[in-house]
Amino acid sequence: MESNLLDKLTILGESAKYDVSCSSSGANRAGMGRIGSAACAGICHSWTADGRCMSLLKVLQSNDCVYNCRYCVNRRTSDAKRATFEPHELADITMEFYRRNYIEGLFLSSAVRISPDHTAELMLKTLCLLREIHLFNGYIHTKVIPGVAPELLHAIGLYSDRLSVNVELPSSGSLSQLAPQKTPEHIFAPMRQITRTQFEQKTLRSAGNRDRFTATSASGWNAEAGDGFLEDLKREVAAEAGMRNLPALIDRRKHYKEKFAPAGQTTQMIIGASPETDRHIMKTSEALYRRFSMKRVYFSAYIPVVSDPALPPQFAPPNLKREHRLYQADWLLRFYGFTADEILTEDEPNLDYELDPKIIWALRHIEVFPLEVNTASFEELLRIPGVGSVSAKRIMQQRRIRAVRYEDLKKMGVVLKRARYFLTCVGKYYGEKELEPVYIRDRVLRESREAAARFSGLPTVADASEMANLPAPSVNADVPLLDANTIRASLSGTKNGAQISMFDALAPAEAGG
Amino acid sequence: MDYLYDGSFDGFLTCVHRHYYAKSPREKAEGIFVRDAYRGDLVRAAAFIETDAEKANAVNAAIAEKISGFDLERIYHVFCTETPEKEMKLLRYIRLGFRRGPGVGLLHGDPIVFEIQKAQRRLGTEVNRLCGLIRFSVVHSAREILYARIEPDNDVLEFLAPHFTDRFHSDPFIIHDLRRSKALISYGHEWYITELADEGLFERAADEDEIRALWRGYFDAMAIRERINPRCQRNMMPARYWKHLIEMRGE
Repeated sequence: MESNLLDKLTILGESAKYDVSCSSSGANRAGMGRIGSAACAGICHSWTADGRCMSLLKVLQSNDCVYNCRYCVNRRTSDAKRATFEPHELADITMEFYRRNYIEGLFLSSAVRISPDHTAELMLKTLCLLREIHLFNGYIHTKVIPGVAPELLHAIGLYSDRLSVNVELPSSGSLSQLAPQKTPEHIFAPMRQITRTQFEQKTLRSAGNRDRFTATSASGWNAEAGDGFLEDLKREVAAEAGMRNLPALIDRRKHYKEKFAPAGQTTQMIIGASPETDRHIMKTSEALYRRFSMKRVYFSAYIPVVSDPALPPQFAPPNLKREHRLYQADWLLRFYGFTADEILTEDEPNLDYELDPKIIWALRHIEVFPLEVNTASFEELLRIPGVGSVSAKRIMQQRRIRAVRYEDLKKMGVVLKRARYFLTCVGKYYGEKELEPVYIRDRVLRESREAAARFSGLPTVADASEMANLPAPSVNADVPLLDANTIRASLSGTKNGAQISMFDALAPAEAGG
Repeated sequence: MDYLYDGSFDGFLTCVHRHYYAKSPREKAEGIFVRDAYRGDLVRAAAFIETDAEKANAVNAAIAEKISGFDLERIYHVFCTETPEKEMKLLRYIRLGFRRGPGVGLLHGDPIVFEIQKAQRRLGTEVNRLCGLIRFSVVHSAREILYARIEPDNDVLEFLAPHFTDRFHSDPFIIHDLRRSKALISYGHEWYITELADEGLFERAADEDEIRALWRGYFDAMAIRERINPRCQRNMMPARYWKHLIEMRGE
């Protein structure tokens, strides 16, 4: 029995590990007479040999998939080992790991077993066991299966802290090419439902709606019907555990306010399996942030786990440098007040591998600089390469008491080897020569190479010279069957290859709702 | 003159009091040391400062009132770290604080403030790390309890207490600091810290090894071969913590 469980856990963990998100952040909740809590900042519990943090027990409920997505290890035609967790097995493992402080909570995903609804029910039962029988109060992130019934999604949302639906690929053309059973509508319908339910939850939180809210009006489906089903499930789970009533029911009426996915929703897309440019990807993620109030859009560099004529060749190393630069650009979107159009222009649709997107923007807009740190606004400070939100805040704070001197900047966390070319401090400029983009680019590059050489004994992803030699799989001649230009033209519906986000196709539906 | 004290926070505050009320410049503090760890030299005079709760309270109140509650907390945090010469660094910070008032914490550029910020951050980092890196084992004593061993750089036990007490209030647990022979003991919503020597007190529960094997198997399966990056792993999870991490083959 136990060795069987170990097999299941490794098979289903192995299949889940390509999901990027592992954050346990966004929800803050004290113990409340149950086991566990959630910390808003998230807590990492371990780091795997590839350096990614492990915060949640990331597993699939089942990897027995009926879909045949071309990039996926668990596609129907692959000969992977198959396993499925019984809800009580998974709930027990989660509890045992949690009380030993191995994990911060559960990240439950699944392959599509039999049908989306069947799979979702299995997952829901696991969550119900955890929350109602084990009184588990830790973090739960649930992956939504595309095409799931809205009632099931609502019930799952009430048990979860965070929900996510993967967009999988940055454009609908690539989606139909590589994951033919998943349609944009199946992906965006749950996203829209999550966004709307959360919006309703926020606006309806008045005296009469403290414990319950109905999602009938705007979402166009009957929440009450879904609730009846949930009550049945709870009764069934209680009976199986040998209880007449669920212990949490009384508890909930008193203290526990039902909340639908308090930590919001995220999504993920695979980078480098399809030919989109970085600009297209950034525009897509910007649209996702705006339209669905996403907390995060995750990128995962494509790892060729299966060979397929429509995909980049097997054994090509994942393009980690590109993923890294995309995340930097993502940070600029979320925390630095940049727009996708500023970061990448029509003429330069791909990110520079050698330098980060912020310094590239600064070099392109050299006329704005140098900025005087003692008079620039907070927003302007954020635009200086080498100044982050923390150091910008510190500069603002100290300015209230006394002027910021050049010597202070380093102590405030400013990265001077980049920043000094773009700022003046009490009127003095500290870059060696004139303010000239080509010269600055040269200097910064040379310094970062020297720094990398100092660590050369150790292998590092950030080793610029090594990674720069890798081919960019995005617009790659090695991709058979797909011609980059025809695909781009078919995506955009125009012949000049202008990039139009797949979300534009959804615009009328969105506007109507 | 060197001041020697007993290592308690009150003892340190008494030293601060003594420094301010020294009768002559010769009697001002040039160094403050814990008595047991002091290695004196022939040139400098040293005096043991008896801990005096009344004087300590006076300094405590003065800091809270004339500097700020935020800084009092910061001073206590830094006192709980293992920063070299932390006492003199703190004294300089307190003196600067009495001169500059509540804004002292915002002088990010000042070397005195910078040192203190750095030390406080080290404590915070370690507390945050340990919230994730502590590994409990289920052991049997009179009843089932959770037991974890740690060897932290700083004296972090009391800062871990609120987090774990809130999380595991229905399970009694013990976090044992082997370096300082102290333990945090908690049950229900209450906790206390006591001295505890390391004497193999407990016996592991029957299924403990099975759960550990599950965790190890899962941990190994989660690494993505194509992205292996040991340096990144070590940056995030320093090797000095591995000794007590089950997945890193500790313990």
